[in-house]
Amino acid sequence: MRIGVYICHCGSNIAGNLDVESVREFAGSLSDVVVSKDINYACGDQGQDEIKKDIQELDLDRIVVAACSPRLHEVTFRRMAQAAGLNPYLVEMVNIREQCSWVHRDAYHYATQKAKDLVAMGVARARLLNPLTVESVPANRDVLVIGGGVTGIQAALNLADSGIKVHLVERDSTIGGWMARLNDVFPTNDCSMCVLAPKMTEAADHPNITLHTYSEIQDITGHIGNFHISVVHKPRYVDVSKCKGCIELCGSVCPIEVPVEVDGGLSLRKAIYLPMSQAVPFVAVVDPEHCVGCGLCVKACEPEAIDINQKEELVEFDVGAIIVATGYHLFDASRKPEYGYGIVKNVITSMELEQMLNASGPTQGRLVRPSNGREAKRVAFIQCVGSRDETVGNPYCSRVCCMAAIKNAGLIMNKNPENHVTVHYIDIRAGGENYEEYYIRQQEKGVEFIRGRVASVKEVDGEAVITYEDTMTGEIVDSTVDLVVLSVGLEPNTKADNIVDYLNLSRRPDRFIQVAHPKMRPVDTHTRGVFVAGCASGPKEIQVSIAQGMAASARAQGLLSSGSIQKDVMGVRLVDELCNGCRLCEEVCTYGRIKVIDGKAVVDELTCGGCGTCAAACPRGALQVRHSTDEQILAQVRAATEDIRETPLIIGFLCNWCSYAAADLAGTQGVSYSTNIRNIRVMCAGRVNPSFVLEALKGGADGVLVAGCRLGECHYISGNARAQQRMDVLKDVLAELGIDPGRVRTAWVAASEAGKFAGEVSRFVEDLEIMGAIGSELDK
Amino acid sequence: MSKLSFFLGCIAPNRYPGIEAATIKTLEKLGTELVDLEGASCCPAPGVFRSFDKITWLALASRNVTLSEEMGLDILTVCNGCFGSLVDANNIMKEDPELKEEVNKILKEIGHEFKGTIEVRHIIEYLSREVGPEKIKAAVTIPMDLNVALHYGCHLVKPSKERHLGSVENPRFFDELVEATGATSVDYEDKMACCGAGGGARTAVLEPSLQMAVNKLEHMKAAGVDCIIDACPFCHLQFDVGQTEIKKKFDKVYDLPVLHYSQLLGLAMGLPLNELGINQNLIINEEFNKKIERIRGGANE
Amino acid sequence: MSTEPAKLLEEEGFSYLTCIQCGTCTGSCPSGRHTSLNTRRIVLSARRNRDVYHDKDLWMCTTCYQCQERCPRGIRIVDGILTLRAESVHMGLMLPDHRKVAGLMIDKGHAVPINDDGRAKRKELGMDELPETVHKHPQALDQVKKLLELTGFMQLVTDEGTENS
Repeated sequence: MRIGVYICHCGSNIAGNLDVESVREFAGSLSDVVVSKDINYACGDQGQDEIKKDIQELDLDRIVVAACSPRLHEVTFRRMAQAAGLNPYLVEMVNIREQCSWVHRDAYHYATQKAKDLVAMGVARARLLNPLTVESVPANRDVLVIGGGVTGIQAALNLADSGIKVHLVERDSTIGGWMARLNDVFPTNDCSMCVLAPKMTEAADHPNITLHTYSEIQDITGHIGNFHISVVHKPRYVDVSKCKGCIELCGSVCPIEVPVEVDGGLSLRKAIYLPMSQAVPFVAVVDPEHCVGCGLCVKACEPEAIDINQKEELVEFDVGAIIVATGYHLFDASRKPEYGYGIVKNVITSMELEQMLNASGPTQGRLVRPSNGREAKRVAFIQCVGSRDETVGNPYCSRVCCMAAIKNAGLIMNKNPENHVTVHYIDIRAGGENYEEYYIRQQEKGVEFIRGRVASVKEVDGEAVITYEDTMTGEIVDSTVDLVVLSVGLEPNTKADNIVDYLNLSRRPDRFIQVAHPKMRPVDTHTRGVFVAGCASGPKEIQVSIAQGMAASARAQGLLSSGSIQKDVMGVRLVDELCNGCRLCEEVCTYGRIKVIDGKAVVDELTCGGCGTCAAACPRGALQVRHSTDEQILAQVRAATEDIRETPLIIGFLCNWCSYAAADLAGTQGVSYSTNIRNIRVMCAGRVNPSFVLEALKGGADGVLVAGCRLGECHYISGNARAQQRMDVLKDVLAELGIDPGRVRTAWVAASEAGKFAGEVSRFVEDLEIMGAIGSELDK
Repeated sequence: MSKLSFFLGCIAPNRYPGIEAATIKTLEKLGTELVDLEGASCCPAPGVFRSFDKITWLALASRNVTLSEEMGLDILTVCNGCFGSLVDANNIMKEDPELKEEVNKILKEIGHEFKGTIEVRHIIEYLSREVGPEKIKAAVTIPMDLNVALHYGCHLVKPSKERHLGSVENPRFFDELVEATGATSVDYEDKMACCGAGGGARTAVLEPSLQMAVNKLEHMKAAGVDCIIDACPFCHLQFDVGQTEIKKKFDKVYDLPVLHYSQLLGLAMGLPLNELGINQNLIINEEFNKKIERIRGGANE
Repeated sequence: MSTEPAKLLEEEGFSYLTCIQCGTCTGSCPSGRHTSLNTRRIVLSARRNRDVYHDKDLWMCTTCYQCQERCPRGIRIVDGILTLRAESVHMGLMLPDHRKVAGLMIDKGHAVPINDDGRAKRKELGMDELPETVHKHPQALDQVKKLLELTGFMQLVTDEGTENS
């Protein structure tokens, strides 16, 4: 083995605060190190050239660069190695700037000692590094879009336009989703169908889109690049290729009438019907629940399109990526009994109002009182019905209801300026482009906004009476109105539960689908190759849903553009002969990427994120993280404790994403803390096997710090929580052994919390000084 | 035969003993024996005493519970206020070890200890869950063909997180029991509203308290009912005595007879008005009495 | 010395800090229609540490729990009011009629004790003149009295405190 070690001065950034020459000399004394140099700027062209030259001339097979944080330049030095013909994963960086020289400015001697220890740890790890190659597998380039609402349609169109074949699966007999049910839409008052219908038609006609309407996903297997999809086409009892959508002939003879659900039963339809006047595909469907099978329609249909014997059909296909656009469902207003929905006749939901206001709706756009069909002039909107309400388990804001109510209130004023329209609100949320201006315009029309959540609605002499406190004046008011509109909130679509299960997605506490990161990865999910867009991941306006549909399509496109998927080199690998199929790994993998099949664990290496929580759980060491093996980590621990020159000594295990980043930030911000800690970077706190901690204590470390992201913010969902559990158990074990459990400490630090990290270290050092050297408690 | 201790409270035994008598008689017919809970005190009234000093309230209520614990019996109450106090206290004592310790220190001085071995029941909740409308219907000998305004009262169903009796906006279980006697529970405006008596309001601020009762009585009267059915002697008193006070203060007359459910049940089981103490009320409506006699007479023919 | 309202409610575990002042409580309050009671303002005043203890509106609440049932933030409003009342009582603020009822409790063990009318009614129904409560069992009444002394309740009722209601 021939290791080259390079100590970077970083100008005076490092060299100003510690003795570079002494570190270089020390590095040179380590076994297997054949060259040890100091370089003014290792990352600069000159520095890189020097190392490259050494790799070639001295035949180096491992490189250790002691410089800044690997989070900054690890990629740089890997590229450098590759250019010099060395496998890039044989480079190890030692962080002596952010986590040493910058945080120990007034401790020249100790900083130098710490740098030496860190270099020794780096060399120890470097000896055990393995060359890694990025493997890739061929990927299917087709995409499945689940849900034919505006989000799914938009995503499908974008993909199809860029030449990708799309399967668009919709449960209903027409695409269009909720948007197709809306009247006009804010903030421009376009007629909803006028802007949506062209997209619906385009989706149906697009050569790259296969439309599966009236279809259910029955199963999804496989993974990124190669998902296998089973879809059931439910029988509509109408031959799509023959039906002309005339509906006249069949509908007129059908003897069955069924109330239309979406408009609150204000209108009726037949058992054979068009789901809406601009349905896509434009074909009739038979409602098997109500059809009595009289056969009159079969005889009436001239193109002979009706087929009573039609059976469901199973269709199977493969795709490389999936976009989940399963949308929402509306809050069931009868769950707020105090608002009288279903009891007080003149109480309707906001969606029923959309139908009523629609010129082609059940009342031809007339605003009426359901109780007697007379014109409604006094209209009250009750906001936050089923939103921001813990009594129904929905503490979240549904985000669209304020603007929808403002819009409809304005439309009602347009019909007749003499109408009296009130909007009863807690807070008006008009936070979108042009929304506030839109709100102002409706106010100018005379819509009255009354601050106070309505307490109850009751029926008195056939009229609806709302009771509320006007919180601006403190008055309790009973107000008789012609029509009460409940602005019902948006809830997660429970009909998509099977999709969530098939794809192993997770749900947030609000039950919507969780995205990989709430800010930075808004359409990614925790499952590689699966994206989510629109209201499936939380209530959104049309504009945002469309943007997300576009974003998800771009993500899918980018993923599949090369036609192959790269495995993560950092992923977990199974050492077959060690596995006894105990299933512990299955339990701890939050992503479900490990399954025990025939008594052996099988890791889905394509989708494994490499957190290593499973590896830490495996009692037999059968799971190894490729670039973070047990032996590599233990070698670092042993190197740090081999020749202890500073006490108390702390070994820190820091997660890459938050706590290590916080330690780096402490350096950038010059927040100083005690020199006593030697950090080991892991991808996740969940990677820390309790045996690492024991090894450190056994070697003579006085304390061990396990630090990760703040609880609930883990980049691998719950690795930090798992670490917390493990350390709690370990502390009990230590206590039983007579070792002070306070020697093991956990800290959950966000990447921005430099001061908190520094404080944790300094406090820990102080506490350890009181505790005394490791093992001293055994003498007492 | 099921056995429960009978917690009387204050108003039932001391003002409307007909409720006490009716309860014992009707439950016996339904196979539940009530045993005297000797030496029980005021529950104590939640609105007032709980408002004064939590520990006093908790200790007194716990003492009442321990009396029944010592007999090994669950407690039956006929009053929403007693129910509220005793259930809440029983739950707090079972769930909060610190308060339990503090209260048990006091109870020890007077020879009791709270153990947490029994449950507290309310007659309506008990009949609904343990007996059921069907069995009551079977025990009815004279179906009471009456239109009644049912008043649930507040503490029977609220706070719902403690009571677990379902919907507080549109509950049905009490209506079902009323309808099992042959009566019709007529819907009326603000049916679930408060009578106005609780929380110490009747004691301290009588006028607004009565205004709340007026609100209820107006709506009941408008619904054209024969009488009010309640499940709480304090609501009972508010409606009965309250009507006389309302007449004086606001010059409004409703003349609505007020019956506790046990009394309605008694009538339906064939017991006469006077055995049930219904005419010991301040509001005596002759027309109602005649109607009852007619129903009884009709049944005897 | 009284505890500040905000601190008191926090100690008792009431999540009043998340109140959004929506007015559902006030709109649901049967008493607020006839009195000056505004539950929303009581929560706000407590949150801002205003002196709610001297606010007579505290005593207008019938504890019907309708506000608490409907509160979208799940705030235990009535339980909070009871806690504020208790603190107020401990400051010596007790309404005269409530003091009378408390006195009855101390003397008789019943907030509504038996009277001649009640005895007559019982007799008429063929019942014992006295119910099987503390009324009939003097040792039990002694227990109640001792209990009230131990909890400091007697003191609380007789001692009108520094501030008279």
